[in-house]
Amino acid sequence: MMDQERIQKDVLDYLDERFGLGEDVFRKHRFYLASKGRLFLGPKWMPDDRRVVSVGLLVARAAGKGIKPTTNLFQTFGKLITRNALELDRESTIAYAKGEDLELDTAPPATDGYVLLRYRNTQLGCGLLKGKSVRNMLPKAKRLEISLL
Amino acid sequence: MDFTIPERFQARYCPVVDDPEAFLSSLKTMLPKSFRVNRLKSDPDEIKERFSGYGIPVRQMPWYEDAFVSDVPDIGPTLEHFSGKIYFQELVSMMPPLLLREALAGARNVLDACAAPGSKTTQMAALMGNRGTIVANDVAYPRIRALKFNLEKTGTLNTVISNRDLRNFPNILFDVVLLDAPCSSEGTMRKSSEMFSCWSERTISSNASQQRQLILKAFDLLSPGGAMVYSTCTFAPEENEEIVDHLLRNREDARLEEIGIEGFRTSRPLEEWNGKGFHEEVRKSVRIWPHHNDTGGFFMARVAK
Repeated sequence: MMDQERIQKDVLDYLDERFGLGEDVFRKHRFYLASKGRLFLGPKWMPDDRRVVSVGLLVARAAGKGIKPTTNLFQTFGKLITRNALELDRESTIAYAKGEDLELDTAPPATDGYVLLRYRNTQLGCGLLKGKSVRNMLPKAKRLEISLL
Repeated sequence: MDFTIPERFQARYCPVVDDPEAFLSSLKTMLPKSFRVNRLKSDPDEIKERFSGYGIPVRQMPWYEDAFVSDVPDIGPTLEHFSGKIYFQELVSMMPPLLLREALAGARNVLDACAAPGSKTTQMAALMGNRGTIVANDVAYPRIRALKFNLEKTGTLNTVISNRDLRNFPNILFDVVLLDAPCSSEGTMRKSSEMFSCWSERTISSNASQQRQLILKAFDLLSPGGAMVYSTCTFAPEENEEIVDHLLRNREDARLEEIGIEGFRTSRPLEEWNGKGFHEEVRKSVRIWPHHNDTGGFFMARVAK
């Protein structure tokens, strides 16, 4: 099996199993594999041109220790996620948006691994859950001090 | 804002604008904060409800349901900005995609020829519902970073970024082409008066010489039956009417279409400048003067093939 096919299948299996995101969700677009196991989701057609510098959005990394979903993926498809999603309160949302790690008061309804973080109807991004701790996976450029929410 | 508007600037435009005093005084007033609701993540009702909850009054524009203006300038620290549900964009910058709205709905491929930082790209992607393909091209590699950031923030999936001088773009045909050309940006001075520190007529003529080449190439990349918009955010006729005139005189299959946006005041273009008369078709293009709708300045022409 080619790298692209294998990695794409691994990512799709992971997203389906862990988050309930079925393959159908992505059928209007196409996956593209770049170096270091980076998987992009983009338009079905693209020009055959060496000056293309990027296509669609980076949705997962599949290199080294398993698969890592991106904040792009969660912010774009998060509302369709049915498993391993944590609802944050107002204070945790502000802390997450700033880039801080989170400590939960109670055991969350999720298993260890990557989780989607939500606040009300808004998909915030990705965290890495271990027990009651959530490591902040929000890229630095996307962090923001929010006060209105 | 306290700055002096160069005399030469006033001498160029006061004779051709309907109300010179209102024009000059509008240039010294800051632009109201405007944003667009990103339909890929939200809708106007949700945003109205959220801002009403914050106690921030926002006004929905009658000419575009996704366009809003806020009287409170500091609306940056909202959850909606963080999550990409709203996108800060000048009102006039929303116009070119609006003029292409129908064409975008059925377009298989779109070229945004000078795309960075991506305001119009992301708006077109929303109008296309993330379907089809937009090639977002920009010649300046450093500006591509901002473009990429904005595509990510808005959840834009149907876009390919390309880094080329448009004049060397491969010969691919597109259903829709947007040429929002690099220009002297005179119409953006309400955002930053610094524009005047580097204003000169020499800059205008060097922009114009580049735009003449860009418009011909952009038109050559348009499919027969396709739709193209040429736009700038400057008042300079050398970069506006003269460029469209240049296209019409050099491409026999180019024609202009009448344009207008209901509920938004646009003005007729100039018919001549410095003694040079323009092709009759140029009259179908429009100018947006800043004092008419409390916006920046803009110029647009919709071209058919």
